[in-house]
Amino acid sequence: MRLLKKAGNTIQILSFPDEDIEKGGYLIIEDRKAQKALIAQVIDIQFANVPGVMEELLRQPAAEDSTLGEDADPLDIMSHILYIQDARLLVCKIYGTAIEDRLGQGNSWLPSRTHSRINRLPTASLMELAKIAKERPISLGITQELSPVLIDASELDGKLNLITGKKGTGKSHLSKMLVLGLVDHGATVVVLDLNGEYINLGLTADGQRNAHYSRVHVLSPGKDFKVTLYQTDLYVIMRMLTYALDLPGTSAREFRHIWRFLQEKSMLSLHELGEAIKRWQCNQHVRDAMFSRYYALVHSGFFTDNMAEAVDLEGLLRKTDGNGGGAVIIDLSDTSPTDRQMVVEYVLAKLQEILSQWKIRAVFLFAEEAHLYLRETYWDDVVTRMRHFGLFTTFITNQPNTIHENIYRQADNIFLLNFVNEHDLEIVSRAARVDAETAVSLVRDLPPHHCLVLGKVVKDFPIVVKIRPLDIRTMGQTRFLWNASQ
Amino acid sequence: MQTIKGKHFQPCEPEFPLFIAEIPRPGDPISLHVRGFSTLLTPLEPVKDGTKIVGVDVSSIKVGETETGIICAIRGAIVWNEKKHYQYVRLGPFPFHATEMNSPEAAGGPRHDVSSDHRVDLLSPVENQNHLCSSMERWIQASVSSMSRKSIILWDGSLTAGMPGNPVSAVSHILRVARRNSNSVLAFSKATTIRFLGWKITDLAINQKPPCLLEVENLPLSIARATSLLGRIFVAKLAGGGYSFRLDIDRALSHEDCIAAVERLLGNELMFQGYPETLRLAHIYSTFTANDVLGIQSFLAAEYGLRVVPRCSIRKTLFGPFGTGYED
Repeated sequence: MRLLKKAGNTIQILSFPDEDIEKGGYLIIEDRKAQKALIAQVIDIQFANVPGVMEELLRQPAAEDSTLGEDADPLDIMSHILYIQDARLLVCKIYGTAIEDRLGQGNSWLPSRTHSRINRLPTASLMELAKIAKERPISLGITQELSPVLIDASELDGKLNLITGKKGTGKSHLSKMLVLGLVDHGATVVVLDLNGEYINLGLTADGQRNAHYSRVHVLSPGKDFKVTLYQTDLYVIMRMLTYALDLPGTSAREFRHIWRFLQEKSMLSLHELGEAIKRWQCNQHVRDAMFSRYYALVHSGFFTDNMAEAVDLEGLLRKTDGNGGGAVIIDLSDTSPTDRQMVVEYVLAKLQEILSQWKIRAVFLFAEEAHLYLRETYWDDVVTRMRHFGLFTTFITNQPNTIHENIYRQADNIFLLNFVNEHDLEIVSRAARVDAETAVSLVRDLPPHHCLVLGKVVKDFPIVVKIRPLDIRTMGQTRFLWNASQ
Repeated sequence: MQTIKGKHFQPCEPEFPLFIAEIPRPGDPISLHVRGFSTLLTPLEPVKDGTKIVGVDVSSIKVGETETGIICAIRGAIVWNEKKHYQYVRLGPFPFHATEMNSPEAAGGPRHDVSSDHRVDLLSPVENQNHLCSSMERWIQASVSSMSRKSIILWDGSLTAGMPGNPVSAVSHILRVARRNSNSVLAFSKATTIRFLGWKITDLAINQKPPCLLEVENLPLSIARATSLLGRIFVAKLAGGGYSFRLDIDRALSHEDCIAAVERLLGNELMFQGYPETLRLAHIYSTFTANDVLGIQSFLAAEYGLRVVPRCSIRKTLFGPFGTGYED
């Protein structure tokens, strides 16, 4: 390999066909005189602009051409000609400088063209050099060189994360891996499970209980996840009424009066709430507005007056946190969009309450297709407030445009799976943890179940990982008509 | 500049200096009435008889310089068309180190050409390169002549001999072998400097209806005295809208045999702009591209441990951006 050009943080290297270099791999450009080395990642492999190639190709007979021929080339010079014809140009991005086994971010120096030696830097060596994954390792899979990739769970702690890729590339699979990895290290994880994909995290592929079985708690709203009004604080119910059920301001004020009245008399129940709305002295339109929301609460099935069937979410989370971590899966698969929003508002308000009172240490929240149930203001809350409470969110989506732009800019870790759509690529290229060119070039060519990991978990060295398989019962796969009938 | 009489000027790229075989006669061209040549004109009728057409071409290129000479590479191509199927064999590339000292060796023959007064030793390296190229071309032509039967053999260039590396005896021998095997040798020149009354002979056929042959053999032509013409000289216009070419046909063939050979060529070969396709392909397959040169340089570096150093341009050093002329 030969150093050809450097412009900004982009470097071009001339490579020959026998040098086995893959897109996404790392190179180390050692300038022995300067006693420094640049660390660069190959983001694109192109044909080198060899003069005369066009003429060479034009005169080669095509396979279907009637011209046949042979070369009498006793000196085998043709092999040299073809070797040069296949020369490649590696477009690389510089990600740091190594000086005596120490890694820095600087790339402002220029290595010598003549004295530099360019070699492949195996990802395992890079991870060693960058000191990635030491304390709480989570195994993600393997690199292109088949070495294992471990990330440090600590680098997800207190961080905002994003998993995105087109349909069927393995987002949920990777997400489950992170959930179980965090649980293994004692974290409490809450999953807003839109499609019921996580409910079998405690079972192996053949339906047997796995090591995580006792730590996975599945809550299905309206079924085994019900709450009483008594368990629900006024501000929680007001958030549900305002954000999920769009209760107007005047009606909300009256509702608040009714709630306080019942609370003072220790009569907070669905039945008494309905009766109080019926008897309350107020404008008929306000009463109608409150009634319609009341029936929405009743028909959601999420609320009950029976204390025996109510779930103590706070108690469950405290127990999970105290018992060395676990996953609470909120199965939203059989919930209507409005009920889903109500449940999510309840869960988030509860989490915020518990965390703010330091009843549990922290919660990792995994939110699948969050745009379907999160209110607009929550996106800003995630970036500005939630992490201070100890709520660390990971968004999972196959529609990158549904995630607010500030999430891309503020995300600490991004797990990108394959995208080919130019619009989607343009959106993911906004991620602040990597330059746009790298994101677009590498993500476009990722095979299924391969992920480009960006951010703090990889010390800002983008790494392509083949995600390892998980022995858990999958529920997130597409259901097919023809396969089902067989 | 005072002799410029034409309306068009075609600029040409600088090339390696060629061995000048024919010298144009200075002077103003005299007005030409092409109708007057009708007696020399032979209309042609294509004859489809399945005759095999074989084209031969050889190219050489300078790939570098050493302290004592130049390194050049030579490649030959034979293309044949049999029942409209084209096949080819490429020979080479063969790299040579051409110096003043090894020129007789490169000629592969005696130090003096018996048919001329030229001395072949102490040729310049560039002349030596041309010499080597001619030698290889003759060798391929000789091989094709002895291996082919009842074929039309097409050469690139003319049937002119008597220059260094191109002895009359060698070319005559090849033509003799070809005739013995019932082959006809036709040589197409893409460019000729032979003139008639100041006009290029290929211009004589401009207004003639193709396909036709114009025999210019008996016209007073300006041809270098030191050369031997081993072919009858025609101007061939073989396709509508195509170019006219100088065509040399083995002088030992009768006029009728010459006409018949061209008619068989017309009947059994594709013509591209009036030029035979086999010869066009032979040229394409033998020509060196920039990629070939890089490959050969890589081979030389790997095989002989030659170190490639950048060439210093004296013109650029002296004249900067004004040093645009060709530098040998």
